[in-house]
Amino acid sequence: MRVFIFVFIGIWSISVCSQNKETLYDFTDIPQALLLNPGAETNFKFHAGVPFLSQFHVNAGLRGASLFDVFGDDGRNINEKIEQTLNKLTSNDFVTLTQQLELFNFGWQSKKDPNVYFSGGVYQELDLIGYFPKDFAVLAYQGNRDFINRPFRFSTINGSGELLMVYHFGYNKKVSKKLTFGARAKLYSSMLHVRSARNSGTFTTVETPQGNNFYQHIISNADVTLRTSGLASLRELEGENSGKEVVSKLVGRALLGGNLGLGVDVGFTHHIDEQWSLTGSINDFGAILYAKDVETYRARGNFVFEGFETPVQFSGNGDQDFLDELEAAVPLDTLSTTYLTMRPLKLNGSIKYSFNPYEDESCNCSLYGDSPVYRDAFGLQVFSQFRPKRPQYAASLFYYKRIFNFLRAKVTYTIDDYSYNNIGFLLSTHIDKINFYISANNVLEYSNLAKARSVSMQFGFNFIM
Amino acid sequence: MLSIICTALLMASCVKDLDFDQSEDIVLTPIVELDFIFSKFDTNQFVDPSIDPAITVPEVEVDDTLNYDLLGSSFAVDNLERIELSFEFRNTIERDFVFEFGFLNEADQRIGPFFTLTANAGRGEGTTPVVTAETIVLDNATIRTLAPTKRLFSIIRVQNVNSGLRGILDVRSKGTYFINYDL
Repeated sequence: MRVFIFVFIGIWSISVCSQNKETLYDFTDIPQALLLNPGAETNFKFHAGVPFLSQFHVNAGLRGASLFDVFGDDGRNINEKIEQTLNKLTSNDFVTLTQQLELFNFGWQSKKDPNVYFSGGVYQELDLIGYFPKDFAVLAYQGNRDFINRPFRFSTINGSGELLMVYHFGYNKKVSKKLTFGARAKLYSSMLHVRSARNSGTFTTVETPQGNNFYQHIISNADVTLRTSGLASLRELEGENSGKEVVSKLVGRALLGGNLGLGVDVGFTHHIDEQWSLTGSINDFGAILYAKDVETYRARGNFVFEGFETPVQFSGNGDQDFLDELEAAVPLDTLSTTYLTMRPLKLNGSIKYSFNPYEDESCNCSLYGDSPVYRDAFGLQVFSQFRPKRPQYAASLFYYKRIFNFLRAKVTYTIDDYSYNNIGFLLSTHIDKINFYISANNVLEYSNLAKARSVSMQFGFNFIM
Repeated sequence: MLSIICTALLMASCVKDLDFDQSEDIVLTPIVELDFIFSKFDTNQFVDPSIDPAITVPEVEVDDTLNYDLLGSSFAVDNLERIELSFEFRNTIERDFVFEFGFLNEADQRIGPFFTLTANAGRGEGTTPVVTAETIVLDNATIRTLAPTKRLFSIIRVQNVNSGLRGILDVRSKGTYFINYDL
């Protein structure tokens, strides 16, 4: 129990948010921009990410509170702080964790058509989101005495988690000087998946002055489902070698042995004129079919408890057994039926104004395309991701600067569910054909991460021609 | 993986002014209200109406046992600070009633204390019920002695009854469970 709470609060606080990569989006100097918009402009002849090091990304966020709110060393009693935080959080607050590790990433310009660029690769992704189960957290922490006649809603139980491998291949074509279009096909191999969403029903303790007893404890129209895939077989593993067996099972699933799914990304870049450009992309439009190792738990029913009738049961109800009656009224079924779940769809868009072109020969600009290379740009980006309860949104202002030809940077200011003062940066070095980039957001909070509500960082090495 | 991520994040940054030792002090103290037992006595259900009203029965006793093992779990023993059992009797029958209850182990032997409550006599059928309220407190030491509880027994006694008596005795009760769960 304690470990669970630590992990939960730990994830909640140190990190967490969505898959927004506002610094990397449309940063076309590095090939990973193609993963966010397959229609991003590319001016590479060839690229290859350094295996396992081309992109590590982690993004963690907590909406509603920070680690400091609970563990701050401020002399106040921790139970008081937990209670305050509990009262402050709503069932729309959440904790998220996204982590990606690129195993391979490569791309090349088509020999037949220099306007076409192919790219592909494999990456692993971990994606967790847990909404704050407000009503049941209150019930566990405060009990029902102060909440008589108030329903505790099962709909506040919401969350999902998935560990998967993604194999992808993309096509990018410069259709004209003004328009670049791209699409990427994805094959998902899910290693583990859990999800509980769209639950309904309530538990209420109702005062009954005219009733048989003080209260009626009512479970009304309960319908609570937890879907899992990939967990049941791991749970069965026991003994000395269970650790190894778990790893070998997961590796097997990563190598297309898991539950499979298909998806696409599409995107474009459109030059309105020489300096203004517009981009947009849709990522992970797809679904995974969970057919292997599926266990779905579902409890449905209605139940009313008003105490035990005694000494004589004049009502003729017979002997009562509370737990047996509850189990009969709200049976818990374990199902293994196949289910389909959409991937969390992500939308990106931007408008950019570029200025301050290279006018002398100080830049080997031809390497990066025909059009004049601008040293500066600014613009606006928007991001949205679909989540079990409602979409998450973010909007960013950005400034791009080519400081030197070998050093390029982007600074972003983002407003999202977590904060209104999220500053991010990306630094990318291009020395000979070796590229290294590093990016992080919420930099204002780095001086004290304890107070941060979301943190995102990524870095990687590429070989670019 | 999580630990790698957390470590990486922590190395790249600074976490000030946090004291995780405070987690030792986290205590969950929910207060849960749950119905306990209830009953509704109608005189004609325990005195045969066909008996001559002139005949007085010296004592009627009704008893029952029911399954009840809520106190048997280690969670209850370790984390229940106390239980307050609140009883409310609403009586229109013109007799005092004695209500007794206690706890039984697996072998149906009485364990722990035995409680006797008296419901005051009412004023007759159709009158406003006479309300008697009583609260019994079970402290943690008592809860520990009641840990082997499997069943609960209850007895209701009323004296000097006849078939002319009319009215209803309502018994309502609830338990207020004061939990103190130390993480």
